[in-house]
Amino acid sequence: MLETINLSKSFKGKKVVQDVNLYLNNGESVGLLGPNGAGKSTTISMISTLIKPTSGEIKLNGVNTIDKPGEIRRISGVVPQELALYQELSAYENLKFFGAIYKMTGKELEKGIQQALEFVGLEARQKDLVKTYSGGMKRRLNIAAALLHQPKILILDEPTVGIDPQSRNHILETVRMLNQKDGTTILYTSHYMEEVEQLCDRLYIMDHGKIIAAGTKAELLSILSTEDTIKVELNKLDETFVEQVKTIEGVRKVEASHLQLKIIATKGSNLISKLVHLAEQHHLQLINFHTETPSLEDVFLQLTGRTLRN
Amino acid sequence: MNSVLWVQFCKDKRSPLFILLFIAGSILATLLFAGGVYSPTTVAIFSEEENASEIEKKWESLLNVDNSFKFEIVDPEKARENVKDGNMDVAVMLMETDYRLVATSELPSVSYVQQHVEKVFQREAQISAIAETRGEGDVRSEIESYLADAPFQLETQGLDSEQVPKYNMSTQLLFAFTFLISMFILGLKVNNVTNDKVSGIWDRMILSPMKKTSMYCGYVLYSFLITMFQIIVVLLLFKYVMNYEVGDNLWLVMMIAAFFTFSMISIAMLITGFVRTPEQFYAIYPSLIPLIPLISGAYMMPGTITNPVLLFVADLFPLAHAMEAIMSVIFYDAGLQDVMMSLLFMLLIGVVAMGVGINLIERRSK
Repeated sequence: MLETINLSKSFKGKKVVQDVNLYLNNGESVGLLGPNGAGKSTTISMISTLIKPTSGEIKLNGVNTIDKPGEIRRISGVVPQELALYQELSAYENLKFFGAIYKMTGKELEKGIQQALEFVGLEARQKDLVKTYSGGMKRRLNIAAALLHQPKILILDEPTVGIDPQSRNHILETVRMLNQKDGTTILYTSHYMEEVEQLCDRLYIMDHGKIIAAGTKAELLSILSTEDTIKVELNKLDETFVEQVKTIEGVRKVEASHLQLKIIATKGSNLISKLVHLAEQHHLQLINFHTETPSLEDVFLQLTGRTLRN
Repeated sequence: MNSVLWVQFCKDKRSPLFILLFIAGSILATLLFAGGVYSPTTVAIFSEEENASEIEKKWESLLNVDNSFKFEIVDPEKARENVKDGNMDVAVMLMETDYRLVATSELPSVSYVQQHVEKVFQREAQISAIAETRGEGDVRSEIESYLADAPFQLETQGLDSEQVPKYNMSTQLLFAFTFLISMFILGLKVNNVTNDKVSGIWDRMILSPMKKTSMYCGYVLYSFLITMFQIIVVLLLFKYVMNYEVGDNLWLVMMIAAFFTFSMISIAMLITGFVRTPEQFYAIYPSLIPLIPLISGAYMMPGTITNPVLLFVADLFPLAHAMEAIMSVIFYDAGLQDVMMSLLFMLLIGVVAMGVGINLIERRSK
């Protein structure tokens, strides 16, 4: 349905997106995962035709949308990261305006407004001013504004930033329903691993403007299939101890935080006995010790050497 | 475009205080600096002669001959106290055939009163002298009927054989302050473009089927309409309620105001093109706007500014052209043809500034 070919964008000579190749099939839910500044927002701004790429192509059913932006604008809805709403107007007035710019009028507009409000659970507060809403309610209205013209592709740019867990769950549920019940194709960007894991069929992991991994969750986890993730809790953390852990045969990555160590090591490295021995040498006490099933977070750590929220 | 107009109107409908305060500010500034409601200046008169009441009555009727001043008989002590406290600029102490002015300083108003009183006393002195010589008959009536159809009459005429008009500074200040406030209103409305860009609403509109031309037209037209509303309300109020001299050709005055508004909106758009955030606009625009009437000489009598550099800079802004055209219409009965040059200047400034401004805004978006 939609694909990007070697999509790149430079600002003042600095490449912020480099040769991004991704595709979305009809009715699919695709996640674009990466830390802040990875180039996710620039990528979706190019896909939604808000900014022109420096090079590369974007094709919607074979039609180049850089030359014909109207093709994708007509069938897509974009939920921006910022709250693109008039705070001094009511939710109803906001939606009336956003519907009107899509040339919706009369009964069609009224029906669209009520459907969108119902979808995000704001129909009871539609006459209230947006500035009186909680952060979560504003985020939901931000989504409703993109749903008015019933888009086939919904592009969401970090729609859950800065809201409480309850509102986040509500938004995730709304997006899931849109995808599963209405068959809307979803492109969801986030730096929250759990959201993308929960919602998306396929994932693209971005860092420093490049796609560094792509596939289903299982495919991405298979990157770590030859590795174990071990978490060790100590009574105190000693830098020389950490440095010596890194030198143990089979250890690939070590991340220390507070009194914990997260170690990614080759399967069957017989790490436990070596760690116990090393802790004794440093007069450290092992308080807790367990092997974890690898997560996408671990995949990201493995690929980039840092965590998503660094 | 209609939806942009509608949403901007909804925002102002929700909080109309902003516009109302600006309109009130415009009225107050004019009242404060242009002398308030147009009414004759009251001057206290009194006498301390033996036949004080007789003298006061005689001179009261002789002094109150036109609408410029209203001479009122006041108790001598009270008149002196009022002048001393600054409640009055001047009072007139009357004598049988002479007068004294009671004032604390040489204010312009004291000179005006003195000119008027001197004229009346000289005339009376002349009539008395003639009456003494003739010794019989009603000399005053005779002189008045003779002067009504005198063999030599002095008539002042303008270049176009019309009567020389009186220049009214209050009218000029009325327009100067009205336009000053209107520049603030239109600027803050044009800044909604930057506000909506920063909030992401602009992007939502870009992604919609709405054309960019319609988007810009919506913002520009709304700024225009709301500014014209302020100008019209203030002018009608001053013309019909406060009796200011706004001329008879109100439609032409409104037309000039419309050209001025469009031209200033374009300048505001040009400034929008240079800034990145609404806050930058709020910092730059209000600092720049109060300078325009000063450079354009809007607060001064025509011809006060003679420096060619300042005159050139003033010509770059629409205010100088608008003031010149409006004053010509009000005081010299200028028609559309006469103010065409000023209108064209304003249109030119408007088109150039709008073109460059929108170009800068669009470049910044890429």
